[in-house]
Amino acid sequence: MGPVSTPVVTPRPPPAPTGPELPMASQPAVPFLEIETLRAREFLPAAKEALSAMVQEQAQGKLIRPVFNWAGRNSLFPLHWGLACCAIEFAAAFGARWDAERFGVLPRSSPRQSDLLIVNGTVTWKVAHKLITLYEQMPEPKWVIAMGNCATGGGPFRTAYSVVPGVNKLVPVDVYIAGCPPRPEALLDGILTLETLIRERGE
Amino acid sequence: MKPEELKDNLAELLGPRLLAVEPFAGMAGRVRFERTAALELFRHVREVLGYRHLSMVGGIDWVDHREVFYVAWSDERKEYVLLSTDVPADDPHLESAAPVWTAAVWHEREAFELVGILFDHHPDLRRLLTPEGYAFHPLLRSFKLHEPEDLEVKTRNV
Repeated sequence: MGPVSTPVVTPRPPPAPTGPELPMASQPAVPFLEIETLRAREFLPAAKEALSAMVQEQAQGKLIRPVFNWAGRNSLFPLHWGLACCAIEFAAAFGARWDAERFGVLPRSSPRQSDLLIVNGTVTWKVAHKLITLYEQMPEPKWVIAMGNCATGGGPFRTAYSVVPGVNKLVPVDVYIAGCPPRPEALLDGILTLETLIRERGE
Repeated sequence: MKPEELKDNLAELLGPRLLAVEPFAGMAGRVRFERTAALELFRHVREVLGYRHLSMVGGIDWVDHREVFYVAWSDERKEYVLLSTDVPADDPHLESAAPVWTAAVWHEREAFELVGILFDHHPDLRRLLTPEGYAFHPLLRSFKLHEPEDLEVKTRNV
């Protein structure tokens, strides 16, 4: 026969000592106003602590930033602004045949209502500061697509005396689309690439 | 109007300051004149001869001198006339045609910024197509094509 296992008896832990009696129980009732004051003193620090924790989480983007990210990347509103022949393809992309609005892309007429700047054409030094003004009028978060060879790097006019060799010398660019001009499919591909980019960045 | 007819008409007005009137490309003629006669000639061509519409103003850099030309259109005669003068390259001043033809304001701004012609008594001689503070007259033959970065730096430093 094997060894017989004997049950180990562990002593029960002693009962937890009861805390000191509440002052309210033993002491005579305090005046009503003083009770209210005491409660407020306890409530306000607790509320402040809880609220500041929420604010910190919000500041780190943990609470609703994913929601905004999802909503924002599925409703990119480009500025309705045309510079050169790429603007014709830009317009065609929003027509019936390609219908960019099925991706939630809808051109707006004011930079203050848009979050995507599609630079569709040759940027000259004359128009450069107007482009910067439009970009700065757009609310954050905002993105820039350089559409076509001219906006990407000056295109065939790179060495001309009046052309900005690439719009990335003026504003930060997220997506470059090659082509002279790119077809509307290429523009839609660029917009979908930007959506992927926004999801990956988690902004 | 034949070129000979035009020459007789203008010779009375300008005298020796009228250099030549040549037949030119189906126009009434190509009038060559001294630049001191500019405003007088413009006023005569518009008010007396009736070329009321200024079609274009241009400048050409011939390295040793620069040429400025005006093309005007007459509705009555249904024809153009070309007025051309030379200015020295080191002193490219010419009297502005803006008091005669209002359309000359923008055309002369363009000739100023691209070829560097300085139009006296112009109401608003600013650059038209290139940004404020741009350092070059890009259609001069002395203008060399720059690397884009050079141009950017030079343009921004002005």
